[in-house]
Amino acid sequence: MQHEVKPEQGGKKHVDALRAKFGAAILEEAWQTPDQVTLTVDLNSLPEVVEEAYYRQGGWLSSVVGNDERSLNGHFAVYYVLSIEEERDPRKNIWLTVKALVPPDKPEFPSVTPRVPAAIWYERDVRDLFGIHPVGHPDPRRLALPDDWPENFHPLRKDAMDYRYRPEPTTEEETFDFIEVEGEGLVEIPLGPLHVTSDEPGHFRLFVDGETVVDADYRLFYCHRGLEKLAENRLDYDQIHFLAERICGICGYHHSIAYTMAVENAIGLEVPPRAQYIRTILLETERLHSHILNLGLACHFIGFDTGFMQLFRVREKSMEMAEILTGARKTYGMNLIGGVRKDILKDERDRVLALMAGVRKEVDEMIDILVNTPNLFHRTQGVGILDRKVARDLSPVGPTIRGSGYRRDTRADHPYCAYDRVPWKLITQEGNDVLARTLVRASEIYEIFSILEKCLSEMPDGPILVEGFTYKPHRWAVGCVEAPRGEDIHWLMTDNNQKVYRWRPRASSYNNWPPIRYMLRGNVISNAPLIVASIDPCYSCTERVTVIDVRKKKAKTIPYQELERYCREQKDSPLKS
Amino acid sequence: MITLNQELDASQKEKILELKLRLLKLIRRSVYVYRVDCGGCNGCEIEIFAAITPLFDAERFGIKVVGSPRHADVIVFTGPMTRPMRVPAIRAYQAAPDPKVVVAYGACGCSGGIFHDSYGVWGGADSVFPVDLYIPGCPPTPCATIHGFAVALGLLHQKMKGEHYVEGEGAGVRLKFPEVPIGLRKEIEREARRLCGYWHGRQIANQYLEFLAEKDPQKVDKRVKELLKAEKDARLVEVFMKIHRIFLDSMERAAGSA
Amino acid sequence: MIKLLKKVLQVGEATLKYPFAPAEVAPGFRGKPVYNFEQCISCGACTLACPANAITLSCDLERGIRTWQLFYGRCIFCGRCEEVCPTEAITLSPEFELAAFKKEDLVCRADFRLNKCRFCDRFFTPAKELEYVLAVMVQAGLPEPEVANRRALLEVCPECRRKVEVEKMKKAVFTPLE
Repeated sequence: MQHEVKPEQGGKKHVDALRAKFGAAILEEAWQTPDQVTLTVDLNSLPEVVEEAYYRQGGWLSSVVGNDERSLNGHFAVYYVLSIEEERDPRKNIWLTVKALVPPDKPEFPSVTPRVPAAIWYERDVRDLFGIHPVGHPDPRRLALPDDWPENFHPLRKDAMDYRYRPEPTTEEETFDFIEVEGEGLVEIPLGPLHVTSDEPGHFRLFVDGETVVDADYRLFYCHRGLEKLAENRLDYDQIHFLAERICGICGYHHSIAYTMAVENAIGLEVPPRAQYIRTILLETERLHSHILNLGLACHFIGFDTGFMQLFRVREKSMEMAEILTGARKTYGMNLIGGVRKDILKDERDRVLALMAGVRKEVDEMIDILVNTPNLFHRTQGVGILDRKVARDLSPVGPTIRGSGYRRDTRADHPYCAYDRVPWKLITQEGNDVLARTLVRASEIYEIFSILEKCLSEMPDGPILVEGFTYKPHRWAVGCVEAPRGEDIHWLMTDNNQKVYRWRPRASSYNNWPPIRYMLRGNVISNAPLIVASIDPCYSCTERVTVIDVRKKKAKTIPYQELERYCREQKDSPLKS
Repeated sequence: MITLNQELDASQKEKILELKLRLLKLIRRSVYVYRVDCGGCNGCEIEIFAAITPLFDAERFGIKVVGSPRHADVIVFTGPMTRPMRVPAIRAYQAAPDPKVVVAYGACGCSGGIFHDSYGVWGGADSVFPVDLYIPGCPPTPCATIHGFAVALGLLHQKMKGEHYVEGEGAGVRLKFPEVPIGLRKEIEREARRLCGYWHGRQIANQYLEFLAEKDPQKVDKRVKELLKAEKDARLVEVFMKIHRIFLDSMERAAGSA
Repeated sequence: MIKLLKKVLQVGEATLKYPFAPAEVAPGFRGKPVYNFEQCISCGACTLACPANAITLSCDLERGIRTWQLFYGRCIFCGRCEEVCPTEAITLSPEFELAAFKKEDLVCRADFRLNKCRFCDRFFTPAKELEYVLAVMVQAGLPEPEVANRRALLEVCPECRRKVEVEKMKKAVFTPLE
């Protein structure tokens, strides 16, 4: 089904090593691009192969995709997409996808989670949406589907339903089963509703002993909008950009690029160099506003509200830059398959460079003030530790993992757009804590400026769009970008008639949520909002916090607002009243 | 499915809204706003938030975003009303005291936006609640947000008006550059878009096609050269030269075949 | 602390005057799509490109009307309609003050007349689009009689055209046998 692609030097080595170990269990090898390979393996060997690639070949789990391929080959399929970064050399890193076919009459596959914990959410996701069961998975609860969705009804199966079908709610209540923490006395805090800076809603439950968090559980996916099925059925290739952009209102352009690159990789399309540069400029403009936003929030949570307001004032300049470059502050809408929709002319370039100089000066002053605020260190050092071992097991991404000393950044690991043509430094910190993650972002802002400056002044000549290509059906590939919060990865399979067969976008926060539970453990409750905000989740607060006191066996619901106040002021614990 | 929509005719709706606004005026204090994100992308959230930060400062008008629906006079729904958010949204709505002005914010809040017919959503805020004001935008800019709130509170007038056109007899479309051969025009427009995108490209192509109206190739060439000489943007010079090449080639072809 | 105070004083008042003074947007800002009814031929290119289905077409074959509709409440302001429009009938403007109390005020609608088929006398194609296509042919330099020929062809609905073609083919195939 795939076209002839020659593997890149160095990439083949990993495949050979897997072949040497698993021999006949590897049924097929197909290269999608010079650095993307899919190995089809025997269903029962799936967990072993993924484990081998993950732990012994320097792999990280980037995505897991379920696919209903019954009309293509009579089976369901699962794809485990791993980024192999063993040698930290972009020429040797590859995307290794382990694929297994699942028989339709017995839709089960051996769960990988017991061997590779990073798969924990993905496999629940596949179970919800396709009804393919990961046998041996430790968590039987729903992930993506809402509580009021009928049992045994899986929307992404091709024959399940029309994409517009809306089954009647089965319940008018929330029935999600939160975990129960054993122990004496329990306080349950539901982390509270949508506050001023909040993004998506979600429901948090914290288990505390006195003031210390013992464990946490959460129900997210309040935003499941069914966009995968929507894309497969209603939209054509050039429309999906705009849907992808609305996966996230903060780093939407990154999603749009990840989608575009997945299509371009799948059909082997070269994008003109000028378009690559323009894409890079827009990506970094988006990172700029997002990082300033997060720094602002960090100020807010440590009680430094003046800094917060000043940073938000400065951030407006980056919004203005986006408006000049794209015609919109937030949803850039600048991509088409094969290029971009709008050029950058001298006028625009000069205005943007002038604005950027202003932002640089002001951000520099603000960062200087911030790092000289003793409160910053006092509140964030040693707080919300992301242990290196936990990080290795759960594949978090972006500043979250770079704050724990791992040199992981898609821009460096799998360079795209113009990132291999302009100089920039990969930033890491060793502290594993909230401080480290904040400092990673602060330092990255300076890299943004140098990338932007270089790209804006050295845009190559030529067209910004290629036309006249054709889409070939049933090819697949991944597209991956480093969004402000970490890797955004889109897996995609093409179909006939200007449609995608399957599109699986995965946002960076998806990989950053599971470690949160470990980061919260052992911290005082007043730091919980700070820790959650430090992964810069695609939402910085949650629907409700239920605090469960392990000692008093008492559940208590505290408005999130109250908890946030406690986080800022550090006095009058809401648990005491 | 439980919703809080009531069957009301237009005049009833208008009356209720009028009463609400009058009551708000009678309260004579700042207006508190509570937002409910019904599964949106955060774009709207972040723009509402930008509207209360220093540059736009909606708090100048006493508009304050509050953290609990119990304090709210205005309740803003963003997002396409996903299935899991319906029940929490209803709870928030019921918690807000009457009279409350209900605002549907952003394309998703107004109608479900790009997600409007997906299985995962119910559609705009009005799929569940009676809505008083719609603020379109994807997302609405902070200025659009301020405008929207000002309209809701009767400080500014609504600008939008429904439009309905009906075709009469003999209506015709103005053809672009009738003096330029259509094949050549298409080729130029296409190249301009390929080089500079649809927005710049159209302006550039139109500017160039103006020259072609001159018909005499030498005059065209002269005008283009004048333009290029005065142009300070190297990129625009590159683009104009590439477009001009198309014209020159077509002239050569015409000369060759003649 | 001193640094911060200095900074705050130096910045002074940052707030824009809007709404007391107009807010400036960048050139190329993608605001309200403005519809130019005169230029529209109801070809539907925008309805196919619109990712959000904010622009839709519907047909009333009984009354002979094709209706084009834009719902600003669903518009995502991407500008794809502007990009694909062959006659520049829709352009995104700097206008952003779109708030409205009633949904009806967010709708722009246009009714186009349909032509009847010469053969079956049923409505099938918008008159304005047909005239535009013919005008383009004239502009492309097609001779007058040829344009008249094409007009005759275009005034027949696809179904009847197919029937005519079948008849022609029958003749072509069977004539030599006779």
